[in-house]
Amino acid sequence: MQITTRSLFGSVAISLFAMPALADEITINSFGGAYEEAHRACVIDPFEAATGAKVNIVTAYSADAFAQLRAQKDAPQFDVIHFSGGQEIVGASEGLLLPITPEMVPNLADVYDFAKEGVAKGEGPAYQIAAVGLVYAADKMPEAPTKWADLLNPEYSDRLVLTDISNGYGMIGLLMLNQISGGTMDDIQPGLDAVSKLLEQGAIVVSKSPEIQQEFAQNDAWLAAYASDYAYTLQKAGLDVKFVQGEEGTPASFITASLVAGRDNVELASKFIDMELSPEAQACFSEALRYTPTNSKTVLADDVAASVVYGPDATAGLMRFDPIKIEANRSAWVEAWGKTIAR
Amino acid sequence: MTDRREAWLFLVPGLALLVLGFVLPILRMLVLSVLGPDGLTLQQFARFFQDGYYPSILWRTVRMSLVITAITAAIGFPLAYITSRVGPRLRLWLIVMVILPLMTSVVVRTFGWMVLLGRSGPLATTLRDMGLVGRSFSLMHTEAAIVLGMVQVLLPFMVLSMLGVLSRLDPRLEEAARTMGCSFLQTIRRVVLPLAMPGVVAGSLLVFTLSASSFITPSLLGGARIEVLAGSIYKSVTQTLDWNFAAAQSVILFLGLALVLIPYLRLGARHG
Repeated sequence: MQITTRSLFGSVAISLFAMPALADEITINSFGGAYEEAHRACVIDPFEAATGAKVNIVTAYSADAFAQLRAQKDAPQFDVIHFSGGQEIVGASEGLLLPITPEMVPNLADVYDFAKEGVAKGEGPAYQIAAVGLVYAADKMPEAPTKWADLLNPEYSDRLVLTDISNGYGMIGLLMLNQISGGTMDDIQPGLDAVSKLLEQGAIVVSKSPEIQQEFAQNDAWLAAYASDYAYTLQKAGLDVKFVQGEEGTPASFITASLVAGRDNVELASKFIDMELSPEAQACFSEALRYTPTNSKTVLADDVAASVVYGPDATAGLMRFDPIKIEANRSAWVEAWGKTIAR
Repeated sequence: MTDRREAWLFLVPGLALLVLGFVLPILRMLVLSVLGPDGLTLQQFARFFQDGYYPSILWRTVRMSLVITAITAAIGFPLAYITSRVGPRLRLWLIVMVILPLMTSVVVRTFGWMVLLGRSGPLATTLRDMGLVGRSFSLMHTEAAIVLGMVQVLLPFMVLSMLGVLSRLDPRLEEAARTMGCSFLQTIRRVVLPLAMPGVVAGSLLVFTLSASSFITPSLLGGARIEVLAGSIYKSVTQTLDWNFAAAQSVILFLGLALVLIPYLRLGARHG
């Protein structure tokens, strides 16, 4: 190992401002709660066992994680960063992420094309997909919902849970509501008008997913626009809750893993992403949380396969709201949303 | 000479921390708030005042902080007064009781309130069983919930500030007032309260600034629809990644607090 003044200065500088980074450890973000548990069981623990390396987990949702990534531009702290809101596209365009190749990550070859479109540009591949549809209390709703327009039914309004758009699924829900109300990605006013009408009729707004469980379990909520994985979380909590894809379409959230640029243990970090893309880890994730796998070789048990969007044909039908448009408009939309829901 | 050098040495750690952790970030914040794509601009401040939304958040923040401060002072003063006047054993227990909540995290205590105030909490259930309120009644996601939670979180700061001053008051002053014909309440109002003013001012300052800048309790108890300025700043930093606007909001909060604090500091100086 050659020690130059520059690298010596560099390491002194880093050790002054950061925890000492050992070569055999990587730092990642995960999303907390049941997700982090599954992340640990399906990827992190097997990875630590296989490599002997240590994985430091920082619990941070996509937006928080991205804010940290951007703030740490000159001295990044994450090796692998996970996003569910398309932040990898912006991150890649700002040069914060490092492109991965099939040589570094062999499993990339088996991943569906739609899940690895931007990999050459630095956008990490999707290792899971969360489909957003209607989550409803099957034992309480007089009639099962079938389409997004059912959200607008005034009879359900005071049993309806809306999610703040700080949450990725909340954003997708609003955009879908906007789409069925006649809005476009350039004009979300119809969606906001629909929301303010629903609020007047008694709908409530929550900001984090555990609050949805609280509303369903304790407050007699019936209906929410949310993801299939969360419907499963509610089922496991003992609630009679079902997930149904809305007739108008199934928008999805891509959960991606990206390499952070400017870190020195790229090899280990690539191995970590490779493991996330492996059929075993993906099957484990689907089993635990009911996410749609993106590796075409993933084999799911029948009961799991029945409750997720699975297979090349089904996954091809998923739609994704343009993350670049979302990012470009996020500031204005969050402000407009805030004004809409403010009391 | 040596004395002065030693004094400086003592000052260095504190000063260094202040400069690194406060002065520099504040300067950076000030710069960010007036920085636009093409040089200096006041555009972020104009945006804040362009319609009623952000000013109403600012007004809510200041108004609720004042209410919280007033309630904390009203509850804290009798508590601190009694604590300063009882025997040493009981005083110790009272102080422990005041300090004890500080040993649990704010988040944990706030979650306790969320359970108590929620739709299926004891309060809402009892009222509903008595037929006084409807199905969806809940104190959660109201300003009242925020005030309740914040008062509990901040009470120790108020009591401890007052206690320091009250326990140094000479009890003979009160005895003198009573012999001169003052009733108990008159003694409090004319003798104890004026003398305790520095403690009241210090406690109020602490509580006011802490409540104006806190966002965990307001966001958990107030929900998405009741915004306070600190929460709005957090949103600008983490969600919309609009740091310039976040800095502008911080400057406005800073100025807003300063405007309220200056008369208070004067009051403190007069009594101090």
